[in-house]
Amino acid sequence: MNLVFDIQKSIEENYTNNAFCFSNTHYSYKDFAQVISDIRKAIRSSVKDDEINIGLIANDDIQTYASIIALWMEGKAYIPLHPDFPVGRNKMVIDQAEVKTVLDSSETEIFTECNTILTKQCNSSEINLTPVEVTDDDLGYIFFTSGTTGTPKGVPITFGNLSGFMDAFWELDYPITSEDRCLQMFELTFDLSVVSYLAPILKGACIYTIPKEEIKYSYIFELMEDYELTFALMVPSILHYLRPYFDEIDCPAMKYSLFCGEALPLDVTEEWSTCIPNATIANVYGPTECTIFCTDYTFKRGKYNKTHNGVLTIGKDMKNTTTIIVDEDNNEVKEGENGELCLSGSQLTPGYWKNEEKNKETFFYKEYKGKNIRFYRTGDLCTVDKDGDILYLGRVDFQAKIQGFRVELSEIEFHAKAALDKINVAAIAFINSIHNTEIGLVIESEEFETKELLDELKNSLPQYMIPSQIKFMNAFPLNTNGKTDRKKLKELFNKG
Amino acid sequence: METNIIKGKISGVLEAILEHTNFELHDELTAKDVDGWDSLSHMMIITKIEEEFNIRFKLRDLNKLKNLGSLVSVIQTKI
Repeated sequence: MNLVFDIQKSIEENYTNNAFCFSNTHYSYKDFAQVISDIRKAIRSSVKDDEINIGLIANDDIQTYASIIALWMEGKAYIPLHPDFPVGRNKMVIDQAEVKTVLDSSETEIFTECNTILTKQCNSSEINLTPVEVTDDDLGYIFFTSGTTGTPKGVPITFGNLSGFMDAFWELDYPITSEDRCLQMFELTFDLSVVSYLAPILKGACIYTIPKEEIKYSYIFELMEDYELTFALMVPSILHYLRPYFDEIDCPAMKYSLFCGEALPLDVTEEWSTCIPNATIANVYGPTECTIFCTDYTFKRGKYNKTHNGVLTIGKDMKNTTTIIVDEDNNEVKEGENGELCLSGSQLTPGYWKNEEKNKETFFYKEYKGKNIRFYRTGDLCTVDKDGDILYLGRVDFQAKIQGFRVELSEIEFHAKAALDKINVAAIAFINSIHNTEIGLVIESEEFETKELLDELKNSLPQYMIPSQIKFMNAFPLNTNGKTDRKKLKELFNKG
Repeated sequence: METNIIKGKISGVLEAILEHTNFELHDELTAKDVDGWDSLSHMMIITKIEEEFNIRFKLRDLNKLKNLGSLVSVIQTKI
C-alpha cells in the first residue's frame, strides 16, 4: 500500500509550495508538515494502538486537514463530525463507530464525553512524516450517510479503496501539477471533499477552501477570479445559483471543471462553458459506497453530447470499476433497457459498518465474465447505450407509481424546465391524505399564474404525469452537502 | 437616498421574508444575529432588496454584504 507513502513524498518534495489557503491566508507544505507532526505526537501519547476509529470535528483550518493526514500516518481512520449537526446525530455516529477520541481544532472541546485532543494546542515537535505500516484492508475513513430508518449508516472506506480511486482518477487524464490551484468547496462530512484535498496534496498543489460563514457560490466565484483557480470539483446546484450572473464570470485560468453529486443539465453546462473558455468540463458520478466517484464523461464543446431528459450522460466506468445494469432479479438487462445500476471493483466498500441486514439487502454476488463478483446496488435507475455510455434516469425510488403507471420524476422536470425557460424546478412524489401517490412540482421563482405551464405540460406528458399541486420557492433549500434538499421540498406538500 | 430611508426599506424586506421584527437595525447587525436569516432566506432577502430598490447586485457585491452597514453602503452606490 503506497498511498500514505506517496503523501509523505509529495509533502516533503513541495515544502516551499503553498498547500492551503484559508480565508486569504496561505500555508506552505512545510507549515503543513509541522502541524501534521505535532498532531501525530499528540495522538501517539494519548491514543492506544488498537484504537482505530477517531472522530474529527470538521472545521475549516490547517489543523483539521493535518489531523486527517496525521491519523493516516498513524494507521488510523477518521470519522468526520459536523459541529453544526444536531448533537444527537453526532452522538449516534460516535456510538456506532465506537469513537473514544476526538480531534478538535476548536478553542474549547465540543464533545466532553470523549477524550479530546485540541489540535490547536499541540506541543511543537520534530517533523516526522514517515508512516507506520498500513495495509490495503485498513480503514481510511468512515462517512455516515442518512439511513432510511433514521439511523445514519456508516460507509467504511479502506486504503485499498482509496488507492483504487486515486489510480483510476489519474487515469482519467485531468492532471494536477504543483502549479495548480484547486477548489475544495465541500464539508468534510461529504466524501467529495476527499478528492478535493487528496489529489492536490499528492501533487503539491494549493487547496482553496470556503470559510463557513461565507455564501458558497459567490465566494467560489471570487476564489476563481482572485486566485485564478485551475481545478474545481463542484455540485451542479452551484451552477444554478451562479447562472443569473454568468455574464459576469470570465475565468480563462480554469483548466478542469468537474461536476458530481447531482444530475448535470446540458443547457447549464453549455452556458457555463463560456465562463471558463479554456477548461475541460467533466461529469463524474458515484456513490460514497464506491469511493467518491467511479464513472466519467468529458463534455464536448460545440459538439453533440448525449443526454436523457436534458441531463448529461455519466459516461463510462473508470479503470477500477465494473458496472452492470440489472432488473429486479439481478439479471442484466439488454442494451438500451432501463434497470438499476450496480457497481463492483477495488473502490467498493467492504460493506456498511456493523449493519449485516443492510449489507444483505444492498450487496450481492453474481457470476460476471467467469468470476463470482460482489456488486453494490446503487438505487440509481440507468440505461446504457451501444457505446457503453451510461445515462442516469433518476433514483429507483424517484420512480413513483401513479395510478399504476411508472413515472420518472426527472422527465416531468425536464418538460417543466423546457416550458419555463431557465427556471429551476423539482418534481416530488408524495403521499396524500388518502395514501395515494401524487406528484407535486416546486418552482424556484416568485409566484406566477401556472395555467400556461400546465397547458404546455399537457401537450407533452400523459395526464397521470401532470403535477396535481404546484408550490413556489424563491430559492431551493440545500442540504449540508450542497445538493437540493428534496426532503425539505417534500415537506411543502406533506403540510397539505 | 437617506440612510434612514434605506434602513426602513430593508427592515420592511426582513419583516416580509422572516415574518418577525425581533431585530434592531444597527450597522453591525449580521445575519447570525437575526432568527431565521440563513443561507436560504438570505437569497430571498437579496432578491427582494433588488426589487425594492430596483437595483441589481453583482456577484462580487454579495460577498461584501457582511453586516447591515455594508449592505446600506452597497445599496447607496447603486441608486
